[in-house]
Amino acid sequence: MKMHNFSPVDGLLRDNTVLSAGMVISPIIICGNNLQNAVALIYAFSIITLFSVALASFVPQKLPYAAKIIAYAIISSAIFIPVKILTEQIYPQCSESIGIYFPLLAVNSLIVYQTEVRFFKMRKLKMISSLVFYILGFDFVILLVGFIRELLAYGTIYNHVVNMDSIISGIGAPFGGFILLGLLCGIFRKLRTIASSGNDSDSEVK
Amino acid sequence: MFIITQLITQLCANIIFSQALGTSTIIIAARNKKNLAFAACTIMLFTTAGSSLAYFADKVISSENQNWLMLCYVSIIALLYVCALTLLWLINKNIFNKAKLYIHISAFNCAVAGSMLMAHNKAVGMHIFYNYFKSGLEAGIGFLLASLILTAAYKNLNSSKVPASFRGFPAMLVYIGIISMALYALK
Repeated sequence: MKMHNFSPVDGLLRDNTVLSAGMVISPIIICGNNLQNAVALIYAFSIITLFSVALASFVPQKLPYAAKIIAYAIISSAIFIPVKILTEQIYPQCSESIGIYFPLLAVNSLIVYQTEVRFFKMRKLKMISSLVFYILGFDFVILLVGFIRELLAYGTIYNHVVNMDSIISGIGAPFGGFILLGLLCGIFRKLRTIASSGNDSDSEVK
Repeated sequence: MFIITQLITQLCANIIFSQALGTSTIIIAARNKKNLAFAACTIMLFTTAGSSLAYFADKVISSENQNWLMLCYVSIIALLYVCALTLLWLINKNIFNKAKLYIHISAFNCAVAGSMLMAHNKAVGMHIFYNYFKSGLEAGIGFLLASLILTAAYKNLNSSKVPASFRGFPAMLVYIGIISMALYALK
């Protein structure tokens, strides 16, 4: 079997799930306007994605492409059932505030597209470590976005009031989420370019 | 006047601009201008058919078994996906060979599953087939409108005049945000 040379930490830095690859954007824009929702989404997304991809890796690769995609989607929506029951126990309010974006995590692009394109081209152990970094990439972005939006839109951090002079309420709305995420993507790309050009010049000096 | 009012209503309730459903899909599809039009039309068919079939699923699933709803909806999408592939195979094998690698992106995404869940939420206690169909069609038209708006700006968002770091995907997000803000004001 041909193995591809992906770095396991790509998902966190170079090829971040959200900022670089543009995946799983909708829950960040709509629900990622406070840290409480962000934590609930991190918990649900991490469990659903980790277990779905891990279980999906046992689906025979000889199956037709369409059958494999269906199997991945069915597995993730089946895993969603116990996760939903657990979330209702652990985060009862968040489960309601996340609304339809919670079940939609079961059809997220990381499970449906990236499994075939990236994860299943790796050996099992490397696949799991790479997947963990992809999940951490999403977790980091939603925490950052949740923190910035809650602070700027409501003047609070995890529901604790912070002494803020001015509040930009629009950043808590969907359009604020789009614009902030767009700006973060641009900044991330710039930093990545600077870092990679720095690495290139280092290697030239050596 | 009626058409303008309907257009504004459609835009204000747009699944991309107001609910961000299918944003990742539209961004993946926007990497190629031709793909965007094809994906938008396919997604419109999937949202309409999916929401219509969600009506039957909601009839079968009792309120105590709501946890199984997503699994049921994903099974419906899988069924539609297989039907679409079979139809393409019967119509033209060349188109089938080209489309089979992309059509799952139009089927398994937040826009299709989200439109089914929205139709379910709107129909609380009042299960009427027409409402499900209408909700799915509206979501599909909304996606199509959003993709038309993105297609119009595609060239400028990918222009060399845009700073390299913001070119393409980040500029597209900011652009969607600005349109979303304008529609937010219209509400």
